[in-house]
Amino acid sequence: MQRIPVAEREDWKETAVEHGFDFHSIDGDPYWDESAYYRFTLRQIEDDLEDPVEEIENFCFAVVERAVADEEVLRRLAIPETYWDYIAGSWNRQEKNFYGRMDFSYGGTSPAKLLEYNADTPTALYESSIFQWVWLEQALERNIVPEGCDQFNSLHERIVETLANFGIPGPLHLACAAGSEEDRGTVAYLEDCARQGGLETVLMEIEAIGIDPAGRFTDPDDRVIDTLFKLYPWEWLLAEEFAAHIPKSGTVFMEPAWKSILSNKGLLPLLWEMFEGHPNLLPAYFEDDPRASALGDTFVRKPIYSREGQNIDLVRQGATETLHPGDYGQEGHIVQAFHPLPEFDGNYPMAGCWVVASRAAGMCIREDKILVTGDDARFIPHVILD
Amino acid sequence: MKRSKSIGLVMMSASIFALTACDEPAVDAAVFQNLSQCLANGDVEREQCEADYQAAKSQHAQVAPKYTSQQDCEADFGAEQCETSSQHQTQSGGSIFMPLMMGYMMGSMLGGRSGVASQPLYRSKDDAKSYRTADNKKVGNQIGRTQVAKSTGARPIAKTSTLARGGFGARARSFGSVAG
Repeated sequence: MQRIPVAEREDWKETAVEHGFDFHSIDGDPYWDESAYYRFTLRQIEDDLEDPVEEIENFCFAVVERAVADEEVLRRLAIPETYWDYIAGSWNRQEKNFYGRMDFSYGGTSPAKLLEYNADTPTALYESSIFQWVWLEQALERNIVPEGCDQFNSLHERIVETLANFGIPGPLHLACAAGSEEDRGTVAYLEDCARQGGLETVLMEIEAIGIDPAGRFTDPDDRVIDTLFKLYPWEWLLAEEFAAHIPKSGTVFMEPAWKSILSNKGLLPLLWEMFEGHPNLLPAYFEDDPRASALGDTFVRKPIYSREGQNIDLVRQGATETLHPGDYGQEGHIVQAFHPLPEFDGNYPMAGCWVVASRAAGMCIREDKILVTGDDARFIPHVILD
Repeated sequence: MKRSKSIGLVMMSASIFALTACDEPAVDAAVFQNLSQCLANGDVEREQCEADYQAAKSQHAQVAPKYTSQQDCEADFGAEQCETSSQHQTQSGGSIFMPLMMGYMMGSMLGGRSGVASQPLYRSKDDAKSYRTADNKKVGNQIGRTQVAKSTGARPIAKTSTLARGGFGARARSFGSVAG
Protein backbone atom coordinates (compact mmCIF):
# COMPACT_ATOMS: atom_id res chain seq x y z
CA MET A 1 0.00 0.00 0.00
CA GLN A 2 1.45 3.30 -1.15
CA ARG A 3 0.22 6.88 -1.42
CA ILE A 4 1.18 8.28 -4.79
CA PRO A 5 0.86 12.02 -5.55
CA VAL A 6 -0.41 12.51 -9.08
CA ALA A 7 -1.73 15.13 -11.52
CA GLU A 8 -5.43 15.96 -11.27
CA ARG A 9 -7.51 15.69 -14.40
CA GLU A 10 -7.82 19.31 -15.53
CA ASP A 11 -11.50 18.85 -16.34
CA TRP A 12 -12.58 16.80 -13.32
CA LYS A 13 -15.06 19.41 -12.09
CA GLU A 14 -16.83 19.44 -15.47
CA THR A 15 -16.79 15.64 -15.44
CA ALA A 16 -18.35 15.74 -11.99
CA VAL A 17 -21.17 17.98 -13.26
CA GLU A 18 -21.74 15.65 -16.25
CA HIS A 19 -22.14 12.72 -13.88
CA GLY A 20 -24.43 14.47 -11.43
CA PHE A 21 -21.77 14.65 -8.69
CA ASP A 22 -22.91 17.90 -7.08
CA PHE A 23 -21.28 17.56 -3.69
CA HIS A 24 -17.62 17.23 -4.71
CA SER A 25 -16.81 20.20 -2.46
CA ILE A 26 -18.34 20.77 0.96
CA ASP A 27 -18.52 24.32 2.34
CA GLY A 28 -16.00 25.36 -0.30
CA ASP A 29 -13.41 22.75 0.69
CA PRO A 30 -12.67 19.93 -1.73
CA TYR A 31 -14.17 16.62 -0.68
CA TRP A 32 -13.15 14.71 -3.80
CA ASP A 33 -9.32 14.83 -3.91
CA GLU A 34 -7.44 13.25 -6.81
CA SER A 35 -4.10 14.93 -6.13
CA ALA A 36 -3.00 11.49 -4.93
CA TYR A 37 -4.18 7.90 -5.04
CA TYR A 38 -3.56 4.80 -2.96
CA ARG A 39 -2.09 1.73 -4.57
CA PHE A 40 -2.78 -1.77 -3.21
CA THR A 41 -1.69 -5.21 -4.27
CA LEU A 42 -4.37 -7.74 -5.21
CA ARG A 43 -3.34 -9.87 -2.24
CA GLN A 44 -3.85 -6.93 0.12
CA ILE A 45 -7.35 -6.37 -1.24
CA GLU A 46 -8.43 -10.01 -1.35
CA ASP A 47 -6.75 -11.42 1.76
CA ASP A 48 -6.55 -8.41 4.05
CA LEU A 49 -9.88 -6.70 3.30
CA GLU A 50 -12.34 -8.69 1.20
CA ASP A 51 -12.12 -11.94 3.18
CA PRO A 52 -12.23 -10.27 6.62
CA VAL A 53 -15.26 -8.19 5.55
CA GLU A 54 -17.27 -11.29 4.71
CA GLU A 55 -16.08 -13.09 7.83
CA ILE A 56 -17.05 -10.13 10.05
CA GLU A 57 -20.43 -9.93 8.29
CA ASN A 58 -21.04 -13.50 9.45
CA PHE A 59 -19.91 -12.60 12.98
CA CYS A 60 -22.45 -9.76 12.86
CA PHE A 61 -25.23 -12.21 12.06
CA ALA A 62 -24.20 -14.19 15.14
CA VAL A 63 -24.48 -11.00 17.20
CA VAL A 64 -27.97 -10.30 15.84
CA GLU A 65 -29.00 -13.91 16.48
CA ARG A 66 -27.88 -13.52 20.09
CA ALA A 67 -29.38 -10.04 20.58
CA VAL A 68 -32.89 -10.93 19.40
CA ALA A 69 -32.96 -13.78 21.91
CA ASP A 70 -31.49 -11.83 24.83
CA GLU A 71 -33.26 -8.74 26.16
CA GLU A 72 -30.20 -7.79 28.21
CA VAL A 73 -28.24 -7.28 24.97
CA LEU A 74 -30.96 -5.08 23.48
CA ARG A 75 -30.97 -3.06 26.69
CA ARG A 76 -27.20 -2.59 26.54
CA LEU A 77 -27.57 -1.34 22.97
CA ALA A 78 -30.03 1.32 24.21
CA ILE A 79 -32.72 0.10 21.80
CA PRO A 80 -36.16 1.21 23.04
CA GLU A 81 -37.99 -1.71 24.67
CA THR A 82 -41.23 -0.92 22.80
CA TYR A 83 -39.60 -2.12 19.56
CA TRP A 84 -37.77 -5.23 20.72
CA ASP A 85 -40.46 -7.54 19.32
CA TYR A 86 -40.60 -5.68 16.04
CA ILE A 87 -36.82 -5.82 15.61
CA ALA A 88 -36.69 -9.51 16.51
CA GLY A 89 -39.56 -10.07 14.07
CA SER A 90 -37.68 -8.37 11.25
CA TRP A 91 -34.83 -10.86 11.79
CA ASN A 92 -37.06 -13.89 12.23
CA ARG A 93 -39.01 -12.99 9.08
CA GLN A 94 -35.62 -12.87 7.31
CA GLU A 95 -36.12 -9.35 6.02
CA LYS A 96 -33.27 -8.79 3.60
CA ASN A 97 -30.37 -6.45 4.22
CA PHE A 98 -29.08 -4.32 1.39
CA TYR A 99 -25.81 -2.53 2.11
CA GLY A 100 -23.33 -1.24 4.65
CA ARG A 101 -19.78 0.01 5.03
CA MET A 102 -17.16 -1.34 7.41
CA ASP A 103 -14.44 1.12 8.32
CA PHE A 104 -10.97 -0.25 8.94
CA SER A 105 -7.61 0.99 10.04
CA TYR A 106 -5.31 -0.59 7.47
CA GLY A 107 -1.83 0.37 6.31
CA GLY A 108 -0.85 -2.64 4.22
CA THR A 109 1.53 -4.30 6.66
CA SER A 110 -0.61 -5.75 9.46
CA PRO A 111 -4.20 -7.02 9.70
CA ALA A 112 -6.96 -4.51 9.05
CA LYS A 113 -8.74 -3.58 12.29
CA LEU A 114 -12.47 -2.92 12.30
CA LEU A 115 -13.12 0.55 13.73
CA GLU A 116 -16.87 0.52 13.17
CA TYR A 117 -19.67 -0.71 10.95
CA ASN A 118 -22.00 1.77 9.28
CA ALA A 119 -24.64 -0.86 8.71
CA ASP A 120 -27.69 1.37 8.41
CA THR A 121 -27.11 4.69 6.59
CA PRO A 122 -23.65 4.76 5.02
CA THR A 123 -22.99 7.53 2.51
CA ALA A 124 -20.03 8.12 0.13
CA LEU A 125 -21.66 5.45 -2.02
CA TYR A 126 -22.01 7.31 -5.31
CA GLU A 127 -18.45 8.63 -5.30
CA SER A 128 -17.14 5.14 -4.48
CA SER A 129 -19.20 3.42 -7.14
CA ILE A 130 -19.25 5.90 -10.01
CA PHE A 131 -16.87 8.81 -9.73
CA GLN A 132 -13.94 6.75 -8.50
CA TRP A 133 -14.56 4.31 -11.37
CA VAL A 134 -14.69 7.13 -13.94
CA TRP A 135 -11.46 8.53 -12.48
CA LEU A 136 -9.67 5.21 -13.05
CA GLU A 137 -10.92 4.87 -16.63
CA GLN A 138 -9.77 8.39 -17.49
CA ALA A 139 -6.54 8.10 -15.48
CA LEU A 140 -5.68 4.98 -17.52
CA GLU A 141 -6.52 6.69 -20.82
CA ARG A 142 -4.42 9.72 -19.94
CA ASN A 143 -1.49 7.75 -18.50
CA ILE A 144 -1.99 9.29 -15.07
CA VAL A 145 -1.76 5.79 -13.57
CA PRO A 146 0.26 2.82 -14.87
CA GLU A 147 -1.24 0.42 -17.39
CA GLY A 148 -3.02 -2.57 -15.90
CA CYS A 149 -4.47 -0.83 -12.84
CA ASP A 150 -7.70 -2.27 -11.49
CA GLN A 151 -9.93 -1.15 -8.61
CA PHE A 152 -11.77 -2.86 -5.75
CA ASN A 153 -15.13 -1.63 -6.98
CA SER A 154 -17.91 -3.82 -8.33
CA LEU A 155 -20.42 -1.65 -6.46
CA HIS A 156 -22.48 -0.49 -9.40
CA GLU A 157 -23.04 -3.95 -10.84
CA ARG A 158 -23.75 -5.43 -7.43
CA ILE A 159 -26.22 -2.69 -6.44
CA VAL A 160 -28.22 -2.88 -9.69
CA GLU A 161 -28.32 -6.67 -9.50
CA THR A 162 -29.27 -6.73 -5.80
CA LEU A 163 -32.09 -4.21 -6.22
CA ALA A 164 -33.42 -6.05 -9.27
CA ASN A 165 -33.55 -9.33 -7.32
CA PHE A 166 -34.74 -7.96 -4.00
CA GLY A 167 -38.32 -9.03 -4.65
CA ILE A 168 -39.82 -5.54 -4.45
CA PRO A 169 -43.45 -5.86 -5.55
CA GLY A 170 -44.56 -2.34 -6.48
CA PRO A 171 -42.71 0.93 -6.60
CA LEU A 172 -39.62 1.37 -4.43
CA HIS A 173 -39.89 4.55 -2.37
CA LEU A 174 -36.57 6.17 -1.47
CA ALA A 175 -36.47 8.83 1.23
CA CYS A 176 -33.90 11.03 2.90
CA ALA A 177 -34.11 14.10 5.11
CA ALA A 178 -34.63 17.47 3.43
CA GLY A 179 -31.69 19.81 3.23
CA SER A 180 -28.62 17.58 2.88
CA GLU A 181 -27.15 17.60 -0.60
CA GLU A 182 -24.96 14.62 0.21
CA ASP A 183 -27.88 12.48 1.43
CA ARG A 184 -29.91 13.54 -1.58
CA GLY A 185 -27.05 12.47 -3.85
CA THR A 186 -26.98 9.02 -2.27
CA VAL A 187 -30.70 8.33 -2.70
CA ALA A 188 -30.71 9.82 -6.20
CA TYR A 189 -27.95 7.38 -7.14
CA LEU A 190 -29.81 4.43 -5.64
CA GLU A 191 -32.96 5.51 -7.47
CA ASP A 192 -30.97 5.49 -10.69
CA CYS A 193 -29.71 1.97 -9.93
CA ALA A 194 -33.24 0.78 -9.07
CA ARG A 195 -34.55 2.06 -12.42
CA GLN A 196 -31.73 0.23 -14.18
CA GLY A 197 -32.86 -2.85 -12.27
CA GLY A 198 -36.33 -2.44 -13.76
CA LEU A 199 -38.08 -1.01 -10.71
CA GLU A 200 -40.56 1.81 -10.57
CA THR A 201 -39.34 4.41 -8.06
CA VAL A 202 -40.56 7.37 -6.03
CA LEU A 203 -38.00 9.74 -4.50
CA MET A 204 -39.25 11.73 -1.52
CA GLU A 205 -38.30 13.46 1.70
CA ILE A 206 -38.63 11.63 4.98
CA GLU A 207 -40.60 14.62 6.34
CA ALA A 208 -43.28 14.07 3.65
CA ILE A 209 -44.19 10.58 4.85
CA GLY A 210 -47.84 10.46 5.89
CA ILE A 211 -50.06 8.03 7.74
CA ASP A 212 -53.43 6.77 6.47
CA PRO A 213 -56.56 5.65 8.36
CA ALA A 214 -55.41 2.02 8.31
CA GLY A 215 -52.04 2.95 9.85
CA ARG A 216 -50.07 2.58 6.64
CA PHE A 217 -47.40 5.03 5.52
CA THR A 218 -48.16 7.19 2.47
CA ASP A 219 -46.20 9.24 -0.04
CA PRO A 220 -47.02 12.79 -1.24
CA ASP A 221 -49.49 11.34 -3.80
CA ASP A 222 -51.38 9.42 -1.06
CA ARG A 223 -49.98 6.18 -2.36
CA VAL A 224 -49.27 3.48 0.21
CA ILE A 225 -45.54 2.90 0.77
CA ASP A 226 -44.91 -0.84 0.49
CA THR A 227 -41.12 -0.78 0.32
CA LEU A 228 -39.07 2.08 1.71
CA PHE A 229 -35.36 2.65 1.32
CA LYS A 230 -34.74 5.19 4.08
CA LEU A 231 -31.46 7.01 4.36
CA TYR A 232 -32.40 7.84 7.90
CA PRO A 233 -31.05 6.07 10.99
CA TRP A 234 -33.23 3.54 12.77
CA GLU A 235 -32.48 5.10 16.14
CA TRP A 236 -33.97 8.36 14.85
CA LEU A 237 -37.01 6.71 13.24
CA LEU A 238 -37.77 4.85 16.47
CA ALA A 239 -37.61 8.04 18.54
CA GLU A 240 -39.96 10.13 16.42
CA GLU A 241 -43.70 10.79 16.37
CA PHE A 242 -44.66 8.18 13.75
CA ALA A 243 -42.50 5.43 15.29
CA ALA A 244 -45.48 3.75 16.94
CA HIS A 245 -47.00 3.11 13.50
CA ILE A 246 -43.96 1.25 12.16
CA PRO A 247 -44.67 -2.30 13.42
CA LYS A 248 -48.18 -2.47 11.91
CA SER A 249 -47.55 -0.30 8.86
CA GLY A 250 -46.91 -3.24 6.54
CA THR A 251 -43.98 -1.27 5.05
CA VAL A 252 -40.85 -3.27 4.31
CA PHE A 253 -37.85 -1.18 5.30
CA MET A 254 -34.43 -1.17 3.68
CA GLU A 255 -32.33 -1.53 5.79
CA PRO A 256 -34.49 -3.85 7.93
CA ALA A 257 -34.97 -2.98 11.61
CA TRP A 258 -32.51 -5.66 12.76
CA LYS A 259 -29.73 -3.52 11.28
CA SER A 260 -30.25 -1.22 14.29
CA ILE A 261 -28.36 -3.87 16.30
CA LEU A 262 -25.33 -3.51 14.00
CA SER A 263 -25.35 0.23 13.32
CA ASN A 264 -24.63 0.75 16.96
CA LYS A 265 -21.21 1.09 18.55
CA GLY A 266 -22.37 -1.52 21.06
CA LEU A 267 -21.70 -3.98 18.25
CA LEU A 268 -17.95 -3.58 18.87
CA PRO A 269 -17.86 -4.93 22.46
CA LEU A 270 -20.32 -7.67 21.50
CA LEU A 271 -18.08 -8.78 18.64
CA TRP A 272 -15.05 -8.77 20.94
CA GLU A 273 -16.88 -10.74 23.61
CA MET A 274 -17.98 -13.40 21.12
CA PHE A 275 -14.87 -13.52 18.91
CA GLU A 276 -12.15 -12.30 21.26
CA GLY A 277 -8.68 -12.32 19.77
CA HIS A 278 -9.77 -12.31 16.13
CA PRO A 279 -7.01 -10.51 14.17
CA ASN A 280 -9.42 -8.03 12.54
CA LEU A 281 -11.16 -6.99 15.76
CA LEU A 282 -9.99 -4.55 18.41
CA PRO A 283 -10.59 -5.11 22.13
CA ALA A 284 -13.76 -3.20 23.06
CA TYR A 285 -16.03 -3.00 26.09
CA PHE A 286 -19.11 -1.21 27.27
CA GLU A 287 -17.76 1.67 29.35
CA ASP A 288 -19.29 0.44 32.60
CA ASP A 289 -17.91 -3.09 32.16
CA PRO A 290 -15.16 -3.76 34.77
CA ARG A 291 -13.18 -5.57 32.04
CA ALA A 292 -12.74 -2.18 30.32
CA SER A 293 -9.84 -1.51 32.69
CA ALA A 294 -7.83 -3.94 30.53
CA LEU A 295 -7.38 -1.06 28.05
CA GLY A 296 -5.34 0.95 30.60
CA ASP A 297 -5.15 4.73 30.23
CA THR A 298 -5.09 4.89 26.43
CA PHE A 299 -8.24 4.11 24.45
CA VAL A 300 -10.97 5.57 22.25
CA ARG A 301 -14.34 6.38 23.79
CA LYS A 302 -17.33 6.33 21.43
CA PRO A 303 -21.00 7.14 22.04
CA ILE A 304 -23.34 4.18 21.39
CA TYR A 305 -24.92 6.36 18.69
CA SER A 306 -22.82 8.84 16.80
CA ARG A 307 -22.17 9.94 13.24
CA GLU A 308 -19.46 11.72 11.32
CA GLY A 309 -16.95 10.97 14.06
CA GLN A 310 -18.74 13.28 16.46
CA ASN A 311 -18.15 13.05 20.21
CA ILE A 312 -15.41 10.47 19.83
CA ASP A 313 -12.87 10.99 22.61
CA LEU A 314 -9.26 10.01 22.25
CA VAL A 315 -7.89 9.23 25.71
CA ARG A 316 -4.05 9.08 25.81
CA GLN A 317 -2.25 8.51 29.12
CA GLY A 318 -5.47 9.54 30.80
CA ALA A 319 -5.80 12.88 28.94
CA THR A 320 -8.99 13.30 26.89
CA GLU A 321 -9.17 14.96 23.50
CA THR A 322 -12.49 15.39 21.60
CA LEU A 323 -11.63 15.91 17.95
CA HIS A 324 -15.11 16.53 16.52
CA PRO A 325 -17.53 17.99 19.09
CA GLY A 326 -21.21 17.15 18.69
CA ASP A 327 -24.47 16.35 20.41
CA TYR A 328 -24.25 12.58 20.76
CA GLY A 329 -23.61 10.46 23.82
CA GLN A 330 -26.80 10.44 25.93
CA GLU A 331 -27.25 6.68 25.44
CA GLY A 332 -23.91 5.71 26.95
CA HIS A 333 -20.48 4.87 25.57
CA ILE A 334 -18.20 2.05 24.60
CA VAL A 335 -14.41 2.04 24.83
CA GLN A 336 -12.16 0.53 22.18
CA ALA A 337 -8.41 -0.09 22.10
CA PHE A 338 -6.59 2.81 20.43
CA HIS A 339 -5.26 1.62 17.07
CA PRO A 340 -3.99 4.70 15.22
CA LEU A 341 -4.75 5.06 11.53
CA PRO A 342 -1.65 4.55 9.39
CA GLU A 343 0.17 7.72 8.38
CA PHE A 344 1.15 8.52 4.79
CA ASP A 345 2.93 11.89 4.38
CA GLY A 346 0.95 13.51 7.18
CA ASN A 347 -2.37 12.00 6.07
CA TYR A 348 -4.42 9.40 7.89
CA PRO A 349 -6.47 7.21 5.52
CA MET A 350 -9.38 5.10 6.66
CA ALA A 351 -10.42 2.16 4.46
CA GLY A 352 -14.20 1.92 4.09
CA CYS A 353 -15.20 -1.46 2.70
CA TRP A 354 -18.60 -1.75 1.08
CA VAL A 355 -20.87 -4.67 1.71
CA VAL A 356 -23.77 -5.27 -0.73
CA ALA A 357 -26.16 -8.11 0.11
CA SER A 358 -23.53 -9.31 2.61
CA ARG A 359 -20.74 -9.57 0.05
CA ALA A 360 -17.65 -7.34 -0.12
CA ALA A 361 -18.19 -5.09 -3.14
CA GLY A 362 -15.73 -2.21 -3.08
CA MET A 363 -13.74 0.32 -1.17
CA CYS A 364 -13.44 4.02 -0.48
CA ILE A 365 -10.47 5.69 1.13
CA ARG A 366 -11.19 8.79 3.14
CA GLU A 367 -8.28 10.79 4.42
CA ASP A 368 -8.02 13.30 7.22
CA LYS A 369 -5.18 15.31 8.71
CA ILE A 370 -6.14 14.09 12.17
CA LEU A 371 -6.59 10.68 13.74
CA VAL A 372 -10.39 10.58 13.97
CA THR A 373 -11.99 10.72 10.52
CA GLY A 374 -14.77 13.30 10.44
CA ASP A 375 -17.20 14.57 7.84
CA ASP A 376 -14.55 16.94 6.47
CA ALA A 377 -12.37 14.02 5.37
CA ARG A 378 -11.34 13.93 1.70
CA PHE A 379 -12.16 11.07 -0.66
CA ILE A 380 -8.99 9.70 -2.32
CA PRO A 381 -9.28 7.19 -5.19
CA HIS A 382 -7.39 3.90 -5.18
CA VAL A 383 -6.00 1.35 -7.62
CA ILE A 384 -4.96 -2.29 -7.49
CA LEU A 385 -1.64 -3.02 -9.20
CA ASP A 386 0.74 -5.88 -8.50
CA MET B 1 -11.17 -7.78 -12.67
CA LYS B 2 -12.26 -6.37 -9.32
CA ARG B 3 -14.29 -3.51 -10.78
CA SER B 4 -17.60 -3.13 -12.59
CA LYS B 5 -17.31 -3.80 -16.32
CA SER B 6 -19.37 -0.75 -17.07
CA ILE B 7 -21.32 1.87 -15.26
CA GLY B 8 -24.27 3.79 -16.57
CA LEU B 9 -26.60 6.36 -15.16
CA VAL B 10 -30.05 6.77 -16.60
CA MET B 11 -31.26 9.76 -14.62
CA MET B 12 -28.37 11.50 -12.89
CA SER B 13 -26.34 12.29 -15.99
CA ALA B 14 -26.55 15.90 -17.11
CA SER B 15 -26.42 14.74 -20.71
CA ILE B 16 -29.88 13.24 -20.53
CA PHE B 17 -32.46 15.96 -20.12
CA ALA B 18 -35.70 15.12 -18.44
CA LEU B 19 -38.72 15.22 -20.68
CA THR B 20 -40.98 18.10 -19.84
CA ALA B 21 -44.70 18.22 -20.40
CA CYS B 22 -44.41 20.42 -23.49
CA ASP B 23 -42.11 18.11 -25.44
CA GLU B 24 -43.79 14.94 -24.29
CA PRO B 25 -45.35 12.95 -27.13
CA ALA B 26 -49.14 13.12 -27.45
CA VAL B 27 -51.05 9.85 -27.72
CA ASP B 28 -54.56 9.02 -28.96
CA ALA B 29 -57.31 8.56 -26.42
CA ALA B 30 -61.08 8.67 -26.23
CA VAL B 31 -63.12 10.28 -23.46
CA PHE B 32 -66.75 9.55 -22.60
CA GLN B 33 -69.07 10.67 -19.87
CA ASN B 34 -70.64 7.24 -19.55
CA LEU B 35 -71.14 3.94 -21.34
CA SER B 36 -74.12 5.03 -23.46
CA GLN B 37 -72.19 7.98 -24.82
CA CYS B 38 -69.44 5.60 -25.91
CA LEU B 39 -71.93 3.18 -27.49
CA ALA B 40 -73.45 6.04 -29.50
CA ASN B 41 -70.02 6.97 -30.83
CA GLY B 42 -68.93 5.35 -34.07
CA ASP B 43 -65.24 5.36 -33.25
CA VAL B 44 -65.32 2.56 -30.74
CA GLU B 45 -66.67 -0.95 -30.94
CA ARG B 46 -69.42 -1.91 -28.54
CA GLU B 47 -67.39 -4.59 -26.76
CA GLN B 48 -64.50 -2.22 -26.28
CA CYS B 49 -66.80 0.46 -24.81
CA GLU B 50 -68.11 -2.01 -22.28
CA ALA B 51 -64.77 -3.57 -21.38
CA ASP B 52 -63.04 -0.23 -20.82
CA TYR B 53 -65.97 1.21 -18.92
CA GLN B 54 -65.93 -1.78 -16.56
CA ALA B 55 -62.17 -1.46 -16.17
CA ALA B 56 -62.46 2.22 -15.26
CA LYS B 57 -65.37 1.64 -12.90
CA SER B 58 -63.61 -1.14 -11.06
CA GLN B 59 -60.53 1.04 -10.52
CA HIS B 60 -62.51 4.02 -9.28
CA ALA B 61 -62.51 3.14 -5.56
CA GLN B 62 -58.80 2.30 -5.62
CA VAL B 63 -57.48 5.30 -7.48
CA ALA B 64 -59.84 8.18 -6.58
CA PRO B 65 -58.49 10.79 -4.14
CA LYS B 66 -59.61 9.94 -0.57
CA TYR B 67 -60.88 12.09 2.27
CA THR B 68 -61.87 11.41 5.84
CA SER B 69 -64.62 14.05 5.78
CA GLN B 70 -67.35 14.79 3.27
CA GLN B 71 -66.70 18.49 3.75
CA ASP B 72 -63.05 18.21 2.65
CA CYS B 73 -64.04 16.16 -0.38
CA GLU B 74 -66.78 18.60 -1.39
CA ALA B 75 -64.37 21.51 -0.96
CA ASP B 76 -62.34 20.01 -3.82
CA PHE B 77 -65.10 18.48 -5.95
CA GLY B 78 -68.28 20.47 -5.18
CA ALA B 79 -71.54 19.94 -3.28
CA GLU B 80 -73.04 16.47 -3.66
CA GLN B 81 -70.16 15.38 -5.89
CA CYS B 82 -68.74 12.90 -3.36
CA GLU B 83 -69.61 9.40 -2.20
CA THR B 84 -68.34 7.02 0.44
CA SER B 85 -66.02 4.19 -0.51
CA SER B 86 -67.36 0.73 0.22
CA GLN B 87 -63.78 -0.56 0.19
CA HIS B 88 -62.19 1.74 2.78
CA GLN B 89 -62.81 2.89 6.30
CA THR B 90 -60.90 4.58 9.10
CA GLN B 91 -59.39 2.57 11.95
CA SER B 92 -62.34 3.56 14.13
CA GLY B 93 -64.83 2.45 11.45
CA GLY B 94 -65.59 5.90 10.02
CA SER B 95 -66.33 6.55 6.35
CA ILE B 96 -63.83 7.45 3.67
CA PHE B 97 -65.07 9.90 1.01
CA MET B 98 -64.10 10.20 -2.64
CA PRO B 99 -65.37 12.13 -5.68
CA LEU B 100 -67.96 10.58 -8.02
CA MET B 101 -66.64 9.10 -11.24
CA MET B 102 -67.64 11.61 -13.94
CA GLY B 103 -66.38 9.87 -17.03
CA TYR B 104 -63.75 7.54 -18.39
CA MET B 105 -60.82 7.53 -20.72
CA MET B 106 -59.72 4.72 -22.98
CA GLY B 107 -56.86 4.05 -25.36
CA SER B 108 -58.28 1.18 -27.39
CA MET B 109 -60.27 2.62 -30.26
CA LEU B 110 -60.75 1.49 -33.84
CA GLY B 111 -57.28 1.37 -35.33
CA GLY B 112 -55.35 -0.05 -32.45
CA ARG B 113 -54.16 0.61 -28.93
CA SER B 114 -52.35 3.80 -28.00
CA GLY B 115 -50.81 2.93 -24.64
CA VAL B 116 -53.39 4.92 -22.69
CA ALA B 117 -54.67 2.97 -19.69
CA SER B 118 -58.45 2.84 -19.35
CA GLN B 119 -59.32 4.81 -16.26
CA PRO B 120 -62.00 6.82 -14.47
CA LEU B 121 -62.13 10.61 -14.83
CA TYR B 122 -63.20 13.32 -12.39
CA ARG B 123 -64.09 17.01 -12.37
CA SER B 124 -62.80 19.37 -9.73
CA LYS B 125 -64.88 22.21 -8.31
CA ASP B 126 -62.52 24.98 -9.46
CA ASP B 127 -62.29 23.69 -13.07
CA ALA B 128 -65.62 21.93 -13.51
CA LYS B 129 -65.52 21.95 -17.34
CA SER B 130 -62.42 19.79 -17.60
CA TYR B 131 -61.98 16.12 -17.01
CA ARG B 132 -59.04 15.12 -14.83
CA THR B 133 -57.45 11.78 -14.09
CA ALA B 134 -57.36 10.35 -10.59
CA ASP B 135 -53.78 11.64 -10.43
CA ASN B 136 -55.09 15.16 -11.14
CA LYS B 137 -53.74 15.38 -14.67
CA LYS B 138 -55.88 17.53 -16.93
CA VAL B 139 -57.44 15.68 -19.86
CA GLY B 140 -59.64 18.54 -21.20
CA ASN B 141 -63.31 18.71 -22.15
CA GLN B 142 -63.27 17.04 -25.56
CA ILE B 143 -65.71 14.12 -25.78
CA GLY B 144 -64.86 11.24 -28.13
CA ARG B 145 -61.47 11.02 -29.82
CA THR B 146 -58.81 13.30 -28.42
CA GLN B 147 -55.11 13.42 -27.68
CA VAL B 148 -53.40 13.52 -24.30
CA ALA B 149 -49.80 13.70 -23.11
CA LYS B 150 -48.34 10.22 -22.71
CA SER B 151 -47.94 10.61 -18.93
CA THR B 152 -51.59 11.68 -18.59
CA GLY B 153 -52.63 8.33 -20.01
CA ALA B 154 -50.52 6.35 -17.53
CA ARG B 155 -52.21 3.90 -15.19
CA PRO B 156 -53.40 5.90 -12.15
CA ILE B 157 -51.92 5.04 -8.79
CA ALA B 158 -53.96 3.49 -5.97
CA LYS B 159 -54.66 6.06 -3.29
CA THR B 160 -55.48 6.13 0.34
CA SER B 161 -56.14 9.21 2.48
CA THR B 162 -53.35 10.75 4.49
CA LEU B 163 -54.38 11.85 7.96
CA ALA B 164 -51.11 13.51 8.96
CA ARG B 165 -47.60 14.09 7.70
CA GLY B 166 -44.35 15.21 9.26
CA GLY B 167 -44.05 12.50 11.89
CA PHE B 168 -40.51 11.71 10.76
CA GLY B 169 -37.59 14.07 10.29
CA ALA B 170 -37.34 15.88 13.63
CA ARG B 171 -33.87 14.55 14.42
CA ALA B 172 -32.49 15.50 11.03
CA ARG B 173 -33.41 19.08 11.85
CA SER B 174 -31.30 19.00 15.01
CA PHE B 175 -28.43 16.76 13.85
CA GLY B 176 -28.09 17.48 10.10
CA SER B 177 -26.81 14.91 7.62
CA VAL B 178 -26.98 11.22 8.41
CA ALA B 179 -23.59 10.71 6.78
CA GLY B 180 -22.01 7.79 8.48
